[in-house]
Formats: sequence, structure tokens, C-alpha cells
Amino acid sequence: MPRTSALECPGCPSIRALTFDVLGFVKVTEARGKQGGVPKVVERWGEPDSSKCVLAASIDDRKPDPLLAVARKNGLIEVLSPLNGDLRVSISNVGDAGLQSEDNSIVGLHLFRKQMSDLSSRSCTLLTCTTKGNASVRSIEVPKSPVDSINSGSSTTWNVCAAGNILCSKVDGNENYALFGGKGVEVNVWDLEKCTKLWTAKSPAKNSLGIFTPTWFTSATFLNKDDHRKFVAGTYSHQVRLYDISAQRRPVISFDFRESPIKAVTEDLDGHTIYVGNGSGDLASFDIRTGKLLGCFLGKCSGSIRSIARHPELSVIGSCGLDCYLRFWDTNTRQLLSAVFLKQHLTNVIFDSNFDGEEPVGSSADLQSNETQDVDEIQDGDEEVLPVKRKKAPKENRASKKLKPKKKCKKLKGEIADDAS
Amino acid sequence: MGGKRKKCESEERDGEEVDGGDPSNSNKRQILPSMIKNKEKRSAVHAILKHQKKLEKRKKAKARDAAEKRALELGEEPPPKKTPRTIENTREFDETVCKPDDEELFAGNDADEFSSILKRECTPKILITTCRFNSTRGPAFISELLSVIPNAHFYKRGTYDLKKIVEYAKNKNFTSIIVVHTNRREPDALLIIGLPDGPTAYFKLSKLVLRKDIKNHGNPTAHKPELVLTNFTTRLGHRIGRLIQALFPQDPIFCGRRVVTFHNQRDFIFFRHHRYIFENRESKQGDSKVKKSKGTKGENIPQEKVVARLQECGPRFTLKLISLQHGTFDTKGGEFEWVHKPEMDTSRRRFFL
Repeated sequence: MPRTSALECPGCPSIRALTFDVLGFVKVTEARGKQGGVPKVVERWGEPDSSKCVLAASIDDRKPDPLLAVARKNGLIEVLSPLNGDLRVSISNVGDAGLQSEDNSIVGLHLFRKQMSDLSSRSCTLLTCTTKGNASVRSIEVPKSPVDSINSGSSTTWNVCAAGNILCSKVDGNENYALFGGKGVEVNVWDLEKCTKLWTAKSPAKNSLGIFTPTWFTSATFLNKDDHRKFVAGTYSHQVRLYDISAQRRPVISFDFRESPIKAVTEDLDGHTIYVGNGSGDLASFDIRTGKLLGCFLGKCSGSIRSIARHPELSVIGSCGLDCYLRFWDTNTRQLLSAVFLKQHLTNVIFDSNFDGEEPVGSSADLQSNETQDVDEIQDGDEEVLPVKRKKAPKENRASKKLKPKKKCKKLKGEIADDAS
Repeated sequence: MGGKRKKCESEERDGEEVDGGDPSNSNKRQILPSMIKNKEKRSAVHAILKHQKKLEKRKKAKARDAAEKRALELGEEPPPKKTPRTIENTREFDETVCKPDDEELFAGNDADEFSSILKRECTPKILITTCRFNSTRGPAFISELLSVIPNAHFYKRGTYDLKKIVEYAKNKNFTSIIVVHTNRREPDALLIIGLPDGPTAYFKLSKLVLRKDIKNHGNPTAHKPELVLTNFTTRLGHRIGRLIQALFPQDPIFCGRRVVTFHNQRDFIFFRHHRYIFENRESKQGDSKVKKSKGTKGENIPQEKVVARLQECGPRFTLKLISLQHGTFDTKGGEFEWVHKPEMDTSRRRFFL
């Protein structure tokens, strides 16, 4: 009989992920069941149109009325409902900036979770940033029915950089600060309320050969939810750097990862683990406190990783990119949970944390407490079951090497990491 | 050798230890000639086994033939012929294989980089260049490529950076660049860059046979050739197929009777270039009569039958995809759509194109 090697995927816990691709589709992938659910594409929103290529997306997954903001290539920003894909508002970015959208496309989009105090509850606030550095914060009224370009709320626009191209922008956990960086633009942090620049990075010194690597940031993320002072940035010259505003203007830690540009950086909930994806499809996790590689995520990932998302509750990350696959990984074991083929080059992935694996609930007002409990239960279940799987391989190692305990432990970790890489 | 032997011994010992648990397994093991350490003995056992196998095979074939004959005599349908199991038809299941009813695929095709050429909105214009240092077989190969691909222009490489050449070609409205890389005077790699923003495919090139080395080769005419792409099944294969298709004009001149074939088999892309001709030949009466008397399929053979004949024009080579890059050539900072990684080699029945 032909010898085949089926990839054993343990399946994922109940998750719901939204992916965005170059044809402008939004695809919803769901895995149901407590353990071992196989994720499937359940919905697809949008019509194929390459001018509607999704550039950035952001979700506000509050319980009563979640919203999803999507920035398209043709300059439109659409606010959708992540539950059924209904278009709530669509605004054009082209008009107010007065610039061509061709070379001034949106690179950063953030949907604010907290309400701006002076506005009614049915509004949402958006931060957008374009390649040329036009950042703007605007509030939009979300009407009941989808009406084109309602822009009744206030909007403030400022310019982040004089020259160069912005490639990444991020808003911190408390949504008071934002960072911007890009090609020829050092990472800079802005206070969103006052629209003032707080801090700019300084490029690292020339190396021992006197060669200066030009500034080119490709991705960035804040390290901690409540701390806007520490953030991690990935560069085109395959470096990952940790910046600390309170310490110095040059990177605190900087290390190399493989040989192609870092395309995605995402932080973990614990505040010291980061996930790094690069242009040739390598995904790894690092401990940013020491700059040590914790391990690589191996799973036949053959195309550039465009986006990594961390599930807010479960220990799962999702990654997607040019190889048209959405992959779910366990963060503890670094094992591939499952891979879904989504047919298009993907640009973004986002988790919907309100999903609990049950059939969709109509009015979730009184079920909310149940939901949260469910999620907790799932998480507990994970922690009980998964470690067994995880420990299998290292245990064997450990058994054979247990003659000299304690001291070997550190070495072992290193070895495992080496093996993984 | 020594190590192997030791391994054998240990295996045997293992077998003995397990013996009580699984007797059938250990029996099977004892028969294997590879377990026998004495060479003469081993070869003797092996010869016996081989002979038995041969006999069995012959018996099977005889039985099969007899069954077929009997079925024919009785006027029944002969038993269906079995298809041999090959690596291709036992290929591992791949969910990325394109399906004909996939509307997303067609939408993606419409939006991709080659659609303007393939919809005949613009004609392909190819720039062919070399690596920095090339001699003998490289230029010879290029001159043959120029005769294969219509509207191809050779430019001396000089000492220009490839990125500069890409810029230049963009300004001159080229639609693709082909770079032939030579190593030790032998072409060994092919780089196909789609312009202005199309993907970059890097192929390993091997088994190159030039036209003059092909026996009875023909000389191609200047007609636009027909293109045959076979077996590009997966999403990646489809994309590579379109990349290759975009090198050739989409309106072949059929009276030229020239055909260029890219045949994919087990991820190797075989290139062949032929001239074909349909000839009307007098079929021999005697032959068909004999066939008629035998009662096979002789009835509907016409008096004149059309015979297709092929003449190879060369060159002849094999390509293997190494990587597919998003955007134009950029080795340092490029984003890959597909790169081969060792962890993907889980089985010899897994193919990517």
C-alpha cells in the first residue's frame, strides 16, 4: 500500500477567526466542540474585487454590539458587524486627505474599544494612518441602516512623518498612545489625546565595519496591555528590537531572526513572550526579556506570514499569509492545531473572542455570564488535557538524561529549542 | 558494513525478546534473507525466493490471459484491465488542487498579474539576459530560447544589478524577464520575473540538451507556437502555469505546426519543443483484412488514415521550482509565496505543483 503520512492535527478548541484577503473577501472560520474541533469556513462576505483588497482590519469585540473595521485598497473604510457581515458604515478616506489613494493607502487602522466621553453610545472612533503619514482620529455615528459616508463626528488629522513611508502603526492597550514606524521613519510614539509626539527612536549605531543599516520598520507591537512604554519592532533587515521609552532612545535588546524581513510581530498576554513571523514563512516565539528563542512553530508553512493574532483567552495563536492557509497553533506546545486552506493570499487574521462554540445565540444579553463561564471552562479543559500531549517528547528525553538532574534542565530547554528550530 | 551488521544483530536480539508476544512477526522476520549473515546462504535463500516470486507472477499473468481469452470466446466483456499503481496516481491528497467549479479561483485569476496578457489586452514582450559571467552553453541556450519564445529580446547583462534591469525593463514595457544562470559554463538555473509587479519564480534547470545534440532535429519556423501545459493541478501549479503561459503570445498560428510543451510530472517541469505534421497515408489493405478476419476492430479503418508525426526541435530541459516570490526580484527582502522547506518532505507521494 502507498505509504502516506497524514499530518496529525489535534484540532482546536472552539474559536472563531476572521480572515481578510487580497480579493476583499472576509472569511469566517469556526471550530466547534470542546476539544478536537476541525475548523471550517462557515461564511464568506464580499464580492471578489482586487481593488477592495483588505489592507488593515480591527475589531472591537465588546459584548452587546461588536464592530469590525476594514480598510480597503480603494480608500474605503468599512465598519461591519462581525457577527453577520452587515455593512454598518462606509466612509471614504480619499476625500478628506485630498490625496491620491494609489500611493497613499491605509496601513494602520484601529477601532477604539473605549468610548469617547462626549459622544453618544452609537458611535465608534477610528484611528487611521496612511503610507504618507497622514494619521487621523475620527468618530463616526453608526446608523441603523447602512448609509454611505456619514461622517458626522469630529475628526482630527495630523502628520506623523515628513518623509518616508509608514508601514506599521499600533495603538496601546489603554488606547492613549499610538506608535508609527516605517521605511525611513524611526518608530515614534504619539499621545492621541493631545496629538503630540512623545518620543522618537534613535537608529542603532554603525556596526563594527562602519556599515549603517537604513531604517525600515515593518511591524511593531506594544508589549504589555497597560504599559505603553515598552514595545517591540521588527525590521526589514530581519532584526527584532525591544524599545523602552523610559530607558533610552536606542533599542534595549535587539536580535536577529533568520534571513528574511520580519513581517509580523505579536505579543502574548503574559507580557514577555512575542511571536515573530517573517517573509519566508518562519514563525517563532521569543522571550523578549532575554532575547532568547523559545522555539519555532513547524507546520509546513511555505509562504510569507502577513499577520499573527493571539486569542484573548485561549492559548492559541492564528497565523496567515501568502500561502493561503490559516493556521492555528498551540502557544504552549508550539504544535500545529490545524490548518485551513482559504484559497486567496491572506492579509489579516482576527479572533472573535465572544465565540463560545455553541450555536449562535440571538439575544446574548442574559447569556453573557454563561458565555464567559463557558470560555473559562474551555480554558481549564485545555490546560488539563493539552500538557499531557506536550510532555510526551521531552519526557522521554528527560528520562534518559535524568542521571544529572537540575543542572541539565536549562541545557535541555536549549536543546529542545534547537530541535524545534 | 560493520555497523549494519551490528544493527541486524540487535534487531534479531530484539526479535527474540519480543518473541513470546508476537510469534507470527518473528517467523516473518526469520525468512527475510537480509537477516542471514552468511553471504552464500543469503544469496541462495534470496535466489529461491526470487524464483518463487517469478513463478507466481507468471502464473498470475497466465491466469489473467486465459480469463480474457475465455471471455472473448464467450462474447462477454473481458475483465477490466487494472491500472498500475504509480507514485502519481497514489499521490497524497492535496486540498489545494484546483477544482473546475471554483468561482473563487476564476475571480482570483481575473485579478492576478497575468490576466492582462492572458486576456490579450497586451502582448508579451520578453527580456532575456544572463548572469554576470557566461560562456559556451549559456549563449547557445539563449539563442535557442530566442527562437522558441516569440518577441524575446536578448540584452547583454554587463555588470548591472538585476534590480536595475527590472526597473529598465519596466520602463521599456517588457512583460517578463528571463535570466539564465550558468555555473561552470553550464546553464543551471532559470529565473522568470513577471513585470511590472508579477511574481518571481526561481527554477533549477537540469538535463539541458541543445538542438544540435538532438538526433534528427528540426528547425523551427518563426510562427507563433502553440503551448501545451499539462498537469499543473494545485493552486501553486496553476500560478506557475499562468506565469509560463504569459511568456507566450496567446494567438498561436496553427499553420506553423509548432508546439511548445511544459509537462509537469512529480514537480518536475519538462520542456519540449516539437514540429508536428498530419500525413495522409495509404493504409495497407492486407493488414486491415487480416485484422478484419480476426474480428477485432478492423471494420472502421478507412482507406486513408491520418498519421501524426512529431519532430523535435529542441532545446530540451527540465525545470524544478525552488521558490516563488511575491513581487519582483528581491532576494534579501522578498516575501515568498512558496519556498521549499525540508519539513515539507514528509513523503515521496507529496507534490506541490
